[in-house]
Amino acid sequence: MSSMRIAWGITARSLKLIPRLPSTFIPSLVMPVFFIVSFSGAFAGLVALRGFPAREMLDWFLPMSTLQGCAFAGITTGLGVARDLENGFYDRLLASPAPRGALLAGPLLASMFRALIPLTLLITIGLVFGVNVPGGIVGIAMLVVAGILLALIAGEWAVGVALRAKTMQAAPLIQMLLFLVIFLSTAMMPLNLLTGWVKAVAEVNPMTDILALSRQGFLGDVTWATTWPGLLALILGAAALGLFAHRGIQKVVP
Amino acid sequence: MSSAAQHYAILSKRSIVNTFRQPISIIPALTFPLMFLAINSAALNEAINLPGFPPVDSYLQFMIATTIIQGALFGSIAAGGDMARDIEGGFFDRLYLAPISRSSVLVGRVAGAWTVSFLQAWLFFGVAHIFGLSVEGGFAGMLAVSGIASIVGAGLGAISMSFALRTGSAEAVQGSFPALFAFLFLSSAFFPRELMSGWFGDAASLNPLSHLIESARHQVIYGWSVGEFMQGLAIAVGVLVLGLVLSGIALRARLAERA
Repeated sequence: MSSMRIAWGITARSLKLIPRLPSTFIPSLVMPVFFIVSFSGAFAGLVALRGFPAREMLDWFLPMSTLQGCAFAGITTGLGVARDLENGFYDRLLASPAPRGALLAGPLLASMFRALIPLTLLITIGLVFGVNVPGGIVGIAMLVVAGILLALIAGEWAVGVALRAKTMQAAPLIQMLLFLVIFLSTAMMPLNLLTGWVKAVAEVNPMTDILALSRQGFLGDVTWATTWPGLLALILGAAALGLFAHRGIQKVVP
Repeated sequence: MSSAAQHYAILSKRSIVNTFRQPISIIPALTFPLMFLAINSAALNEAINLPGFPPVDSYLQFMIATTIIQGALFGSIAAGGDMARDIEGGFFDRLYLAPISRSSVLVGRVAGAWTVSFLQAWLFFGVAHIFGLSVEGGFAGMLAVSGIASIVGAGLGAISMSFALRTGSAEAVQGSFPALFAFLFLSSAFFPRELMSGWFGDAASLNPLSHLIESARHQVIYGWSVGEFMQGLAIAVGVLVLGLVLSGIALRARLAERA
C-alpha cells in the first residue's frame, strides 16, 4: 500500500472525528468567532488613533482571529496524536508496516484540511457583517494561504510535542506557545502604535509578517512587498517545525 | 467554639493549606493574568491618548483592576476543580460519613478561595508597583480593591463548586471556564465603556462585571470613594450570595443521591 494512501487514510480518520467528537473541534470555531465579536466591539475606539490603518475594527481583527482558528485546527490534530499515544492506538500504527512518513503526513494533511472550516466560517461571517475587502478576491486568497500554512505549522508543532510528551497533558504547553507567538506581534495594534518591549519583540516575530500578509487585502491593496516576508516566514516555519515533528517520530519509532 | 464553627475552621484551614501545598493548581491563576497585563500594558499603551479615555498614567494603571478580578476568576476554577477531585477521589464521601456540619465543606472551600483571591490581589499590586503603577486611592484604595476581589473570588469559587457538585467531574469544571471568560470580555474589563458604542456598549453596560471592575478601577485612577466602593461591594456580595445558593442546592442534590 502506498505511503500516500496510508497518509490519506489517517487524514480521513482525523476528519471523521470532527462530527464524531465535535467537542475536540468546536473550540477552534467558537473561540475565533468570540474573539472577533468581543475584540471588534470592545476595542472599536482604537480606529480613532492617529495612524491606525483600519477603518473598522472588524477589518483589523477578522484576519487575526481567522489565523487563530486555523492554528487551533492544527493544534487539535496534534492533540489527536497525543490521544492516540495515550490510548495505545499509535502503538498499533507503529506495529503495522505503514511507512513512518505516512504516519506524520496524515495528521499534518488533516491540519490543513481542518483549517478550511474556520476559514470558510469566519470569512463568511465577516462578509455578512460588512468587512471591507479592498484587496478583493486576491486579498481573501492571501488569508486562505496564510491560514492553511499556519495550520500546517501549528500541526507540526503540536505533533512534535505530542510525540515527545506522549500525553494530552502537553496541551497547555502547546497552546501557550501559540498564544504568545500570536499576541507578541501586531495582533492587537499595528507596529507604529506599539510601544516598549512588545514592539521590540513584534519587530522580530515572524507572526508580524504573517499577519501583514493576511491582513493586507482587508486594509488596502495586495502588494508583493507585503506578501513575500509573510510567505517566507510561513515556508521557513513549515520547514523548521516539519523537522521538529520528523525528529519527534524518530524518537517513537522502535 | 461551637462544633460547627470548629468544622468550618478545620476545613477552611485544609482548603488554604492544600492550595499552597499544590502550587501547580494556582500557578495559572497567578501567571495568566500577569501575562495578559504585561502584554496588554505594552501593546495598548497608545490607547490612553484617545479622547475620552480615563485620565491614567499608563494602560497598566487602567488594567490592574481587571487583572485582579481576572485572577479571582482563574482561582475560582481551581476551587471547583479541587472540589471535583475530592468527589472523584472519594474523599467527599468519606467526609460525609463523618459527623460534621454539612455546610462546612462548602464554607471551607469558599474560605480558601477568599484567602487566595485576597493574597493574589496584593501580589498583583506588588508586581505592578515594580513596573511603575501608582494607585490614587493609596493603601485604602488597594484594601478596597483586594476586599472586593476576595469576595468575588469566593463567590465565583462557590459557583464553580456548584458545577463540581452537579457533575462530579474536574473536566466539566474546566469546561465552564470559557463561559466565565466570555463574561469578562463582554464588559469594560479591557476598554472603557465611554469609548464603546452599539450593541456591545449596551451589553457591557448591562454586565454587572463592568460595574464591579469600574468601581475597583475608580480607586486606582481617581482615588478613594465610598460610593464606588459600596457599589463594587454590593455586586461582589451579590455574586457570593448567588454562588452560595447554587452550591447549597447542588450539595443537597448530591447528598440526596447518596441517601
